[in-house]
Amino acid sequence: MALLEVRDLSVTYSPRDSAAVRAVDRVSFDVHEGEFVGLLGESGCGKSTLGTAVLRLLDRPAAITGGSIRFDGRNVTTTPEDELRSLRWVDLSTVFQSSMNSLNPVITVRHQFADTFEAHPDAFGNKQGKGLDIGARAGELLELVALDRSVLRRYPHELSGGMKQRVALALALALEPRLVLLDEPTTGLDVVVQRDILDRLRELQARLGFAVLFISHDLGTVMELADRVMVMYAGEIVEDQPAAEMVTRHLHPYSAGLLGSYADPRDEVVKVEFIPGRPPDLSQPQQGCRFEPRCPVAVDTCRTVHPELLPAHLGEVRCLLVEQATDPRAVLDKAAALRSRDQVFAAGAEARIAAEPVLVMDGVRKVYKTRRGLSPTVTTAVDGVSFALRPGQVTALVGQSGSGKTTIARLLTGVERPTSGTIRFKDTAVDQLGRRALRKYRRHVQLVFQDPFSALNPTRTVAYALSRPLRNHLGMNAAQARTRAAELLETVGLSPAEQYLDKLPHQLSGGQRQRVVIARALAPEPELLVADEPISMLDVSIRAEIVALLDKLVRDRGIAMLYITHDLLSARLLADEVMVLNHGVMVERGPTLEVIGQAKDPYTRTLLAAIPRPGARQLT
Amino acid sequence: MTSIDTEGVRVTALAAGRVSRLPGWFVILWRNRKCRIGLVMLAAFVAVAVLAPVVAPYGPRVDEFAASTGPSGAHWLGTTARGEDVFSQLVYGARTSLVVGLVAGLLTTVIAVAVGLTAGYLQGVVDEVLSFFINLGLVIPVLPLMIVLAGYAPVKGLGLIIIVITVTGWAFGARIKRAQIITLRTRDYITAAKFAGDSTARIIAFEIVPNMISLIVVGFMGSALGAIGAEAGLAFLGLGDPQTTSWGTMLNQASLGGALTTGQWAWLVAPGLVLALLITSFTLINFGIDALSNPHLRED
Repeated sequence: MALLEVRDLSVTYSPRDSAAVRAVDRVSFDVHEGEFVGLLGESGCGKSTLGTAVLRLLDRPAAITGGSIRFDGRNVTTTPEDELRSLRWVDLSTVFQSSMNSLNPVITVRHQFADTFEAHPDAFGNKQGKGLDIGARAGELLELVALDRSVLRRYPHELSGGMKQRVALALALALEPRLVLLDEPTTGLDVVVQRDILDRLRELQARLGFAVLFISHDLGTVMELADRVMVMYAGEIVEDQPAAEMVTRHLHPYSAGLLGSYADPRDEVVKVEFIPGRPPDLSQPQQGCRFEPRCPVAVDTCRTVHPELLPAHLGEVRCLLVEQATDPRAVLDKAAALRSRDQVFAAGAEARIAAEPVLVMDGVRKVYKTRRGLSPTVTTAVDGVSFALRPGQVTALVGQSGSGKTTIARLLTGVERPTSGTIRFKDTAVDQLGRRALRKYRRHVQLVFQDPFSALNPTRTVAYALSRPLRNHLGMNAAQARTRAAELLETVGLSPAEQYLDKLPHQLSGGQRQRVVIARALAPEPELLVADEPISMLDVSIRAEIVALLDKLVRDRGIAMLYITHDLLSARLLADEVMVLNHGVMVERGPTLEVIGQAKDPYTRTLLAAIPRPGARQLT
Repeated sequence: MTSIDTEGVRVTALAAGRVSRLPGWFVILWRNRKCRIGLVMLAAFVAVAVLAPVVAPYGPRVDEFAASTGPSGAHWLGTTARGEDVFSQLVYGARTSLVVGLVAGLLTTVIAVAVGLTAGYLQGVVDEVLSFFINLGLVIPVLPLMIVLAGYAPVKGLGLIIIVITVTGWAFGARIKRAQIITLRTRDYITAAKFAGDSTARIIAFEIVPNMISLIVVGFMGSALGAIGAEAGLAFLGLGDPQTTSWGTMLNQASLGGALTTGQWAWLVAPGLVLALLITSFTLINFGIDALSNPHLRED
């Protein structure tokens, strides 16, 4: 008997204002004692809903509408709330993406542990009787997650995001649970920190022997960590294989598509693929295979016959072609051949010809003085940085959080002025612009934001967002602006544009929103584009798509772009030149392949090591 | 009132509105049972106030009846010590309360929004100066100030009462709006609007205010509620305008006219009761407004 047995589980959202959506559709799977299981899928495929259902934490309008969940033989679906309480955390604990915000801000870390032990007097900590030394036990737990014991005395606001997430993980392990559910536990953290936490997690799991259900859209990480990987699409599990098999011998075309988003940036030629289109609307009845509209190898029967999850190879696959084929791998080889060119984005090794720079930063230094108490603190955010941006070229700026990347962006856009040094945009001295001149300058310099969800005003339509720069900077009237807005949408691949003009941001997917953000940045016909981690909030499967779009726009329009990122793979794909920043000092700079291929700086090496390489663990 | 999702409100309101023909915010309010009751009650009060000449059997100042009589067929709630019909006064009094609530509520909200938004968006010296006045408005004891203003003002009348209530009531709303705008102004879309060349005034009016509508409505409801209570209180203390018929002046006269000693309970209880009912209707509507600003309350 498995530790967790999920059988035919269905979860339906039935909100009052819209049609019911079956987010999880007759899903069955097992998690065995001590097993590390990954659950993968794009956003909106139902993986988090499934996780919440397992914890029985679903909130209205979502509800379990069928099937059962058995944990250690107990039927969790019908257990009364009171009995569940003794099960939760003791046997079944969790870390969410936002768990770092789940720490109570007004009590110390020690107190949070004390609360946990107190709430479960019969659980592990108190088995030896009443004399449990909370400090000692909590200290042990913190050491497990590589935190110092002194953290116990601190309040959550005194800890960084990564530290808080470690505390959340330590709390989840406090009562030695048998299953830990991790829902994107490191998304939103610095890549290096993320790497560190996940490595630690795997180590702990092997040592303490708890089972893990790890939910993530980041396939690279999951495959590296997990024993077994399940891929979810549109509310169904489409493939379930041991992780090692999944890397090299996956069978479902969707898994193949997801895996295509990964490559090693050190290769001579880097190639990534993406899956065009969006998951289906689950409020409509589904016929046939749900992946069929996006599937490169779909045949006619796929449209009408809904495939079942059937044993194939070492696991299970839900695909008609695999079912019928004698050699299932042949299907995928066919898929690879069929994938059209616009689905693949490749970067070769060739360098581009240098043009006259449009912006030159020379010996720029920025010092912040903050007065805290009696002694003023001086922070040098940027120290003696010089570079030039050229039309039609992309310069990547790589560095850890707090290395001064954002300060450079702020200096470049005129939001702040350098303490010393000069910034020149053609003949304009950016560091000496007045208010009015700054407004004129911004016609030439535009931003692409990191978070497509906060970069668009939720109450304003796409047409409005696009029309503002057109009317202000180019002096268009309302009708002209609307026509141009439509053209811009077509440029960024949102077509037909009429369909998108009057939509509000919440009606668009993350990728679509980011396209609108890019369209808005292009509207005043800028010569310089500053993109601050434009793909880090997007699903892995559509990142390559946005990178390809940016690349095309920059080359076609001769725009100079500063690409700020953590992600060396996308830097490799997009940038001609890479600059590495560490504590405000530029430590490495040069053509992309050179910098990445022969990284000298320790930070650059750390970043390279943090890139997930599916299958790496199994190979070494 | 912490962490209100003011940005989401407009969005869901728009979504809800698309399903039916009614405006989205109304659909959400109407669905909430408590709020529905409150809306019906308020609608009844408004109807009575608007149709006062039709509903009331006599004029509010007609004093030609026998003084201090108990409830009867001709005078449902009896007559005052001066021989006026209590029921008619009650009906006309609704007008005063609602007008004060509406006008003082609006004025207070306008001042609070203007001051709060300016302080929160501009920050720096402007914020320091405006925050000083906000804090001043918050720490000054309101009741004595009201009494002094109302008692010593050279002119009497409803206008004065409204001004007194507004002057003493705007600060709290301004503080809340300032706090909200400080979180909203750091959003990426505000930076984007700056890069799109929009002016500060336009950014506030078109990018920020639409995301604060629910907070502004909540503020208005609170101010209107406070204003109605304040007017009744001032009038009861004898600081109101004796020429206006309001529930406060009725209570004041009932207590002066010895309603208790003569056993005219209706004269005393009726104005207090309707006042309580009006305030209850506002409170009930506020439950619906909570649902407007917090999507989780909406699925009931």
